[in-house]
Amino acid sequence: MKKIFLRSGLFCLCFVPGAVFLAGLPAMASGGGVMERIHHAEEPYDSMAIETAYQQPVKTVRAKESWQGGTFRVLTRKDSITRFRCSVCHTDKKVLVKDGALFTHDDIVMNHGKGENGLVCIQCHDEDNRDFLSDSSGKKIDFDHSYQLCGQCHFRQKRDWLGGAHGKRDAYWAGERVVRNCTSCHSPHSPAFKTKMPETYSLPLDQ
Amino acid sequence: MDSRKKEGQMKTNDILEKKSTRRSFMKKLSIAAAAGSAGLVTGGCVGGSGSTEEMGLKWEEYFKKNYRMMTDKEKDETVARLEKLAKLQDDANIQMSNQEPREKVLFGYAFNISRCKGYMDCVEACVQENNLDRNSKTQYIRIFEMDSGQQDPTSGDGKYHHEVPVENKYYMGIQCFHCENAPCIKACPTKATWREPDGIVVVDYDWCIGCRYCMAACPFWGRRFNWGEPEVPKEELNPKQHYLGNRKRMKGVMEKCTFCVQRTRQGKLPACAEACPTGSRVFGNLLDPDSEIRYVLKHKKVFRFKEELGTDPKFWYFMD
Repeated sequence: MKKIFLRSGLFCLCFVPGAVFLAGLPAMASGGGVMERIHHAEEPYDSMAIETAYQQPVKTVRAKESWQGGTFRVLTRKDSITRFRCSVCHTDKKVLVKDGALFTHDDIVMNHGKGENGLVCIQCHDEDNRDFLSDSSGKKIDFDHSYQLCGQCHFRQKRDWLGGAHGKRDAYWAGERVVRNCTSCHSPHSPAFKTKMPETYSLPLDQ
Repeated sequence: MDSRKKEGQMKTNDILEKKSTRRSFMKKLSIAAAAGSAGLVTGGCVGGSGSTEEMGLKWEEYFKKNYRMMTDKEKDETVARLEKLAKLQDDANIQMSNQEPREKVLFGYAFNISRCKGYMDCVEACVQENNLDRNSKTQYIRIFEMDSGQQDPTSGDGKYHHEVPVENKYYMGIQCFHCENAPCIKACPTKATWREPDGIVVVDYDWCIGCRYCMAACPFWGRRFNWGEPEVPKEELNPKQHYLGNRKRMKGVMEKCTFCVQRTRQGKLPACAEACPTGSRVFGNLLDPDSEIRYVLKHKKVFRFKEELGTDPKFWYFMD
């Protein structure tokens, strides 16, 4: 008798995992699983096929970097700088003391880099031509392509931004890729996000 | 490829399996309706509630099919009727779409828990976009302030009322995860909710009987119930609607996040992703190897909430 029980017990032990496995099969076969479908999807999607994603509500410029082997666009910066071009004021002309407040950008608060590493104007702005930025090697960089400058320190963020894990696309997931520039979200002079009150509140999960 | 074909079969099979019983049921129903129609029409004329046109439209609306059983023509007709009804009943000029899912598209979402600052701009944008009930303060998205190290949103605080972000806290957003193997779909007794080929789990509000089984089945608290008639101020009504999305809901029906089907099938980002000022929300086509969402899945540390339940959500959390 004991042997029979033992045998049936063993049989059950073998059978139960098998039954669980079999029961699991239809579930797997029916959906295929998201990860499996993702792994099998190798063909790039022609997102230009979605004709409603053509209109761009914002001013953009083609980026000087490549993304997934193709091109993309970034939001312009120069259009949102109120007193561009800088060289209109930044000339060799002498400035009167009484105009100083107007001319010295006293509204700009520098809070970029911590402590002794805090940045000063000339580390990003070109010393000779104020219509441009310049990187640490002295190469002139257009205001619309400031990612070239920011990326020399924030290279991890730039890598993620190029791929799409940092920053964000503008308006459309389809159509030509248009992403926000660094300066669309971050103030270059004080890049950390400000604290603010939340817009609303969330109810607990059981309500 | 194989799994997709199977899925296509399953899509029609699961609704057609009881074809004969449904048909006989409808037959009985139409007989009953015919018997009752005379009373209804005369009653309406005496009471003077609404025009004849409005009543005719309501009548046709009442006997329409489940959205998945409709032909393209029937879909166009019901959308046209609903647009007219909105004009007659609420004096609202809406444009309703029945845009079909795009081929080779499977929507997915990623949420950056190290970037979200808890501003809740997404929640507000969602309420505006989806015409959510202002009366009961229905919201599809919840944001919780979490202690670092915690992963369970039940331990988080959603009612924080102070300037955010706070140090040593992080913010976790919860909404419908549009599971591939969604338990809410299995729970529905009237097949009023299903997964579209582009991965969006939708509700046919006209077929929902309000039993709330799906609400109980969802492990992610993703579904909302209309306990009362939803109220949206007329000037705040979003006129760009979709039949399966942000159209007018009734009292006693279920609703949920639809990845903003009215926007995303037009190539736009969902309202939450567009509103986010921090770039914590990444949305895109999972079947496109060049998409942002695929970059996140490939290069970042990602996890899915309650993945062990096997519901296969299309919503990932990631960190920098």
